[in-house]
Amino acid sequence: MPNSRQPLQSKAAANTPLESLRRGSGQLFETERRLNAVLNNASVSIFLMDDRQHCIYMNRAAETLTGWTLAEVLARDCPLHDIVHHTYPDGRPFPLEECAIDRAFPENNQERGEEVFVHRDGHFFPVGFTASPIRDDAANIIGTIIEVRDISEEKAAAERQRLLINELNHRVKNTLATVQSIAAQTFRGQTEQAVRAVFDARMAALSNAHNVLVEDNWESASLFQVIERALAPHLLAEVDVNRFRLEGPDARLHPKVAVTLAMALHELMTNAAKYGALSVPEGQVAVTWSLHDVDEGRQQLDLSWEERGGPAVAPPTRKGFGSRLIERQLPMEFDGAAVITYAPTGVTCRLEIPLTTLGWVGQEAVEGRRAP
Amino acid sequence: MTVLLGRRVLLVEDESLVAMLAEDMLLDLGCEVAIAMRLNRAIDLVRSEAFDLAVLDVNLGDAHSYPVADLLFERGTPFLFATGYGQQGLEGTYRGVPVLQKPYQAEPLEHLLARLLTGGMPLREGGTGLPPPCRCQDTQAGGNRFRADQVL
Repeated sequence: MPNSRQPLQSKAAANTPLESLRRGSGQLFETERRLNAVLNNASVSIFLMDDRQHCIYMNRAAETLTGWTLAEVLARDCPLHDIVHHTYPDGRPFPLEECAIDRAFPENNQERGEEVFVHRDGHFFPVGFTASPIRDDAANIIGTIIEVRDISEEKAAAERQRLLINELNHRVKNTLATVQSIAAQTFRGQTEQAVRAVFDARMAALSNAHNVLVEDNWESASLFQVIERALAPHLLAEVDVNRFRLEGPDARLHPKVAVTLAMALHELMTNAAKYGALSVPEGQVAVTWSLHDVDEGRQQLDLSWEERGGPAVAPPTRKGFGSRLIERQLPMEFDGAAVITYAPTGVTCRLEIPLTTLGWVGQEAVEGRRAP
Repeated sequence: MTVLLGRRVLLVEDESLVAMLAEDMLLDLGCEVAIAMRLNRAIDLVRSEAFDLAVLDVNLGDAHSYPVADLLFERGTPFLFATGYGQQGLEGTYRGVPVLQKPYQAEPLEHLLARLLTGGMPLREGGTGLPPPCRCQDTQAGGNRFRADQVL
């Protein structure tokens, strides 16, 4: 391809931006004046490159961005890379052959990427670029137009957000641990060990559900991971494949759905371990689920929990925390349905949860409206 | 306790585990409790049933409970907000409403509810004392979310 490229402009012709346009009628002159007005008013930097990666035009924003004037860049008579991109941020020299922008001499319009440029005064700054080829009448590529934005502030904002999320994770975990400690101190010697163990296990289930949320910055959680974490005997263990059969597609869950579902599964598991299929060595649990569309863009999760191989089941005489959470709260929280059946062959539970659209109140104001 | 005995209380709270706790506290105070965990359910309940009192969680995850507050203002039903943020977290026109600081505690809850029953309606900040006409219907008709504080 390089052989087919023709120089966009000779060096002499390039000495003044768009000078070739000046040849000809006054209408061309008027066009040039308009183009210069547009280019020099643009807040984004625009570079026009020939097929040797020499810069033959840059607008005012590009001069401000790099610290170099167009005249200086033209006088250097070298690839733009050697002027604004010659050193890696760690100080090593950055030869043209390794340059992604150069290698990505765009065959396609609007190729995008991020790089770190060097200002004339020596400081590094991150940029986002969009590059498109310029073609001659025969569609040969004769140059490149590159649009460049300084993305320092975006990078800094992303870094601040990362730190804030780390701090949020830290505080939530700390608060859970603090609550656990307060409970331990408060009830020391006042309650049975068994009750304390139930409390600690519920705190751990809540904490596990939060671990899954942390992985996606609290935006959403993987359905599969929520189920796996809830059914694993402890944080460092895997789900026992001899006991559980998990089957269903993954999905992104709203944090509220993730937490309540994790707590519901924890209660089912605790019950199974105490009275149901998991209380005997040969008992098994099948957790199967599917997703289907309910209305525009929203999906519903249908999840089934089926125990078998356990001791004969008798309906409980008293409904506790678990059945209250699952059968009453969960349907109310998500406008869904939940039924627990105490069949003699094993407990089954069916959940229908319309999946809440991801997001939270005030999110648009915090993050700025997303492009449609 | 006696003043709250048998009172019908609407509890609007979007977190299952927290709703269970608040419900238990209200039941222990002798109240009859109706729970709404979603905004549309809360609005339906206020429109169709009569309540002596209401406890509103401010942040319902994907919405605020302010449209419910507007309806309660219109009906003259005393209510309080429950929030972790305190009074400063409320939007301007609602700052006259008593706030129960989360996490829920039985004693402050009882104290505030009793005071609401004997002391009457909370006032809107800078209001005339008369509740403004309810505009919640606009939400459903127009599709755009109506925010009372922007209009007043």
